[in-house]
Amino acid sequence: MKKVMITIKDFFSLIHRKLTHNKVLFIDNQSVKVLNRNVNPKLFKIVSILLTFIIVYLFLYGFGSASLFFVLRRSIYIIVPLILVAFGGLYSERSGIVNIALEGMMIFGAFIGIMFMVKFQDSSINSQVIYLIGILIAGLSGMLFSLIHAFASINMKANQIISGTALNLLAPAIALFFIKLLYGGEDILFRDNYFVREMGFLTKIPVLGPIFFEKGYYSTFYTVIIILIAGIFLYKTRIGLRLRACGEHPHAADAAGINVAKMRYFGVMMSGLLAGIGGLLLVVPLDVAYRATASGYGFLALAVLISGQWKPARIIVVAVFFGFMLNLSGAYQSIVFLRNAGLPDKVYSMFPFILTLFVLAFTSKTSQAPRAAGEPFDPGKR
Amino acid sequence: MEYIIEMLNITKKFPGIIANDNVTLQLKQGEILALLGENGAGKSTLMSVLFGLYKAEEGIIKVNGKEVKIESPNDANNLSIGMVHQHFKLVHNFTVAENIVLGIEDTKYGFVKMEDAIKRILELSDRYKLKIDPYAKIEDITVGMQQRVEILKMLYRHTEILIFDEPTAVLTPQEIDELMKIMKNFIKEGKSIILITHKLNEIKEVADRCSVLRKGKYIGTVDVKDTTPEQLAEMMVGRKISFVIDKPEQKLGNIILEVNNLTVLSNYTHKPLIKNTSFKVRQGEILCIAGIEGNGQTSLVEAITGLNPIHEGQILLNGEDITYQSIRKKTLAGIGHIPEDRHKHGLILDFSLAENLVLQSYFKSDFQANGFLKFNAIDEHGKKLIKKFDIRSGQGVKTPARSMSGGNQQKAIVAREFDRNPDLMIAVTPTRGLDAGAIEYIHKQLIELRNQGKAVLLISLELDEVLNVADRIMVIYEGELVAEVDPKTTTENELGLFMSGSKRGILS
Amino acid sequence: MMNKFKDIIKKIVINIPNILLKPFRNINFLASIFAILSGILVGFLIMLIVNPPYAGGGLMTILFGGLDKGLSGIGDVLIFAGPLLLAGLSVGFAFKTGLFNIGVSGQMAFGAFLAIFVGVKWTFLGDYQWVVAVLAAILGGALWGLIPGLLKGLFNVHEVVSTIMMNWIAVYGAFVAYKAANLVGGTTQNAQKVTSTGALPSWGLDSLFNSHNIDIGIILAVVAAIIIHIVLNKTTFGYELKAVGLNKDSAKYAGINSKRNIILSMVIAGALSGLAAATLYLNVTGATYKIETYPIEQGFEGIAVALLAYSGPLPIIASSIFFAWLKVGGDQLSGWGYDPNIIGVIVSAIVYFSALSFVFRKVVKKIFKKQFGGEIV
Repeated sequence: MKKVMITIKDFFSLIHRKLTHNKVLFIDNQSVKVLNRNVNPKLFKIVSILLTFIIVYLFLYGFGSASLFFVLRRSIYIIVPLILVAFGGLYSERSGIVNIALEGMMIFGAFIGIMFMVKFQDSSINSQVIYLIGILIAGLSGMLFSLIHAFASINMKANQIISGTALNLLAPAIALFFIKLLYGGEDILFRDNYFVREMGFLTKIPVLGPIFFEKGYYSTFYTVIIILIAGIFLYKTRIGLRLRACGEHPHAADAAGINVAKMRYFGVMMSGLLAGIGGLLLVVPLDVAYRATASGYGFLALAVLISGQWKPARIIVVAVFFGFMLNLSGAYQSIVFLRNAGLPDKVYSMFPFILTLFVLAFTSKTSQAPRAAGEPFDPGKR
Repeated sequence: MEYIIEMLNITKKFPGIIANDNVTLQLKQGEILALLGENGAGKSTLMSVLFGLYKAEEGIIKVNGKEVKIESPNDANNLSIGMVHQHFKLVHNFTVAENIVLGIEDTKYGFVKMEDAIKRILELSDRYKLKIDPYAKIEDITVGMQQRVEILKMLYRHTEILIFDEPTAVLTPQEIDELMKIMKNFIKEGKSIILITHKLNEIKEVADRCSVLRKGKYIGTVDVKDTTPEQLAEMMVGRKISFVIDKPEQKLGNIILEVNNLTVLSNYTHKPLIKNTSFKVRQGEILCIAGIEGNGQTSLVEAITGLNPIHEGQILLNGEDITYQSIRKKTLAGIGHIPEDRHKHGLILDFSLAENLVLQSYFKSDFQANGFLKFNAIDEHGKKLIKKFDIRSGQGVKTPARSMSGGNQQKAIVAREFDRNPDLMIAVTPTRGLDAGAIEYIHKQLIELRNQGKAVLLISLELDEVLNVADRIMVIYEGELVAEVDPKTTTENELGLFMSGSKRGILS
Repeated sequence: MMNKFKDIIKKIVINIPNILLKPFRNINFLASIFAILSGILVGFLIMLIVNPPYAGGGLMTILFGGLDKGLSGIGDVLIFAGPLLLAGLSVGFAFKTGLFNIGVSGQMAFGAFLAIFVGVKWTFLGDYQWVVAVLAAILGGALWGLIPGLLKGLFNVHEVVSTIMMNWIAVYGAFVAYKAANLVGGTTQNAQKVTSTGALPSWGLDSLFNSHNIDIGIILAVVAAIIIHIVLNKTTFGYELKAVGLNKDSAKYAGINSKRNIILSMVIAGALSGLAAATLYLNVTGATYKIETYPIEQGFEGIAVALLAYSGPLPIIASSIFFAWLKVGGDQLSGWGYDPNIIGVIVSAIVYFSALSFVFRKVVKKIFKKQFGGEIV
């Protein structure tokens, strides 16, 4: 594996050298030059991203088939919640609190959300409205659940990994207990009233239509909006700046007059909110029942956060990659050569976890974790 | 008298210690008041109370004659009080501008108005001649520039009363001169300054009056122009101290340590931290490598002791090539190491004192048999060292290192390393953060070692220590040795020029 | 001669009150009691809210259920305690060396697979089949722990994430492995049971406790605890492991090879988990290995066991018996109308309150100082 990575790196540096040598393209920390003329770096970034999208679009236009679109469609059901939960972890850790309880928060948020949705799924209220309210309730429940971790980590200065572990143990136990009590079994079956066959003219757009605007859920769009807002909020607003300061150098924030504890509560509650919603979104489009488990997705989100070096843009890239891999276990039947390979289907389930180990091995050497993450803030220690 | 700030009968306690014991401090408008005391006297604590980081148990604070409550840095800022901290409170991966506006950001609908802020910062930077780049990240700029950012933080908040906490610790003599000029400019503008320091010459140069603290208690306030440095020192320490250490004539012997063409690269950026450096240390001499913090001292020591890999070069100990040996082998070959950071490298805080005292020797047959530790022998050894080096601890050999004072922790490390009888003793800023008594003790021990014919490599940031203790001085700048001088013939000014790279000397 | 003997007896008797009271002067013990009481209180409150009239009965069942069946009930407790003890040792040992081993489940899973393989198929070993099965389990767990150890030591990958990844790889891998090795039992989705020579012998314990299911698992566990205690506290190896766990940098300064010690720690922790799997699954009439999409729960219960005992090997013996006791009581809860998952709630609450113990310890120290003037250790 290492050899493959090295040759890929070599390939790119060869291209880079060739381009630089011939003065076609030159990039370094200070400037970007195309054909030996200076170009605004921001403009260059935007143009290159647009170009990539256009190339991918053309490729899919030319080679797209119904089964390929199905695979891509299903990937989105996994990628979007994965990004959401990873962002939840981002908010918490950027404020200075390590949160390994994403899994537990997902389970708990989904639990309350599903209970609400099942209660009203037969009523006359529009099912999409129920879904939307269910999402809000899932988020709120996750937020309330996260207060347990916040209290232990911030007020009690407890070990954050232990507190997180306690929450991961608590969520399924409490969910299963009440499921037995209220529904008599070990899971909550729900009817999928929320599937949307097509969305008007949007469905007809080539390539984009079959992937994003057909046979999907509105929840995808809600979460994309939430993700964009969350990303911008963290880097452009006053609260975002203060929150990040608390995770890097809480004493500096304290000396600047910021209430570090309040900021950290905000960070943890955000993680509960986002993880709760993410938990619900991994149940509704993908399963027929809530089973009080997140199948390790909370920890995969944590791995995404770490591999993404705690930066939103990188997290999204890593999540797309991971989500696609995760999707294979459910969608491989649609990919001809995989179906013919005849591998037992649980092998596909193992894939993403094995892959994570490799990715982490390459990305963990120089960790750019928020410097103060995991250390309780003690105002007494100057 | 018009006092702009009065701190009256302030008492601040921490668990087990009274940091400020009924202390009074009065600052006149438009003056520079020096706050003098040695390490641990309570100066930083007192100013942290004034700045709102701590709350005093007793006492009151008056600003312009009116009694006020300062419970957070925001309150202090509202009263126009600002502080430049000794350990900068800057976020390393934020820009200069972000650090300056943190806490008082101007916003529109919640979004930070960065452009306006940068404009204002550049105006202030121009007006006070504090040159900085608002877009630069803190981790990329020099220490001197970082301090300017701290000062700009205060000016951005319209501070009138400025507190400087040991500001010159990280500056070259030339940068110190600049800072003194900046401070005098602030006074001309009508601001008032409290300068925390333990450097007597700086007090003489720039302060009007000086208040002295000793072990938490207020000793008195004097007019600087009427007081000699010796008198100030006596107030600070409580007895007459001599500035010069007694050293018998050197008796040089064989070369113990020889470093040839050493090059060390950074692990992350592959930039050279040590460039093609060579020097020797002989039996019976103390070689002191002086320099501003961050010029490669740490990397040099880490390379010699094995904590970091070497890229090129050779290290010989007693003629034997130890360049690529493991840390354990190097230690056993005869190197003693008093590390820069006693908490990070020197001790395991949650181990007991006895366990820490055998940290470098637990595997020897004195202390273990067939892999099983001999606890009696370890305890006896600990007791012996406690007695010999006068290490104070709450519960004797069983004391957890964490609960010992900084001075005694350092003594424990010194005891352990000295007891091993190394041929070469490497001591990196061994007296940092210690009180005068402990400093004197450690200097005595190092000179004793040298008298016994051992070789001592001393890394120091304090010019006093460098000039008094060393037999030979070399100056390091940006990873290279740029000068070699005799402490008897050089001056602080000359050393300052070498340390800031403004001048290069001849190496033997 | 008789007089000397009498003196010794006298000394012991006089000191008994001291010995009994000693734990109460130890702050860790008090903190554990606090965590236990708080955890049980949480469970009780939930039972109260959900089904008020039976809450008291439920509480009694949890606390004293173990006694209901007399000696065989105690036997049940010991059967549960064995794997819990070893799982707790695995977590606790790693913790003492600065590592969070959340991967006990995966390590148990792989150890179980190798053990069941040997226990079912290698009948040619005759009476020693179980010995080899136990060794296979230890090997399996050690290998599954080696991987996160290498990842951490060589690549700085955080062990919390890597061990959890290994857990899930084991969960899905089990489906593939058991099918491929033809070890799926009969009509169920579970693994086959091992043969009678592959199972752990009972060495008389079954008649002692009047129970079919008990075997030497608990004895293996206790022996392991004692060995770990000796290694950690009395050997140079233990000294080095603790040094690396407490301060990696100072350990490096002292010439200790941190990388090597981290890897060895995870291997040993994994081996202990493997042994836990052996005590759990090498039987004919006891627990069966379930091939399902959930990690083995004893792996997470081991975390509670270790935390409650502050990772000390000898206290872990006590805390594992306590949790086993809770389990036995919990199994009888459905009679009162409560789902046994309430035990899971109690366990997680105990873990949570153990985490809060730091503040608890400070508060208690203050109170002790005021009331008794003396120091509490």
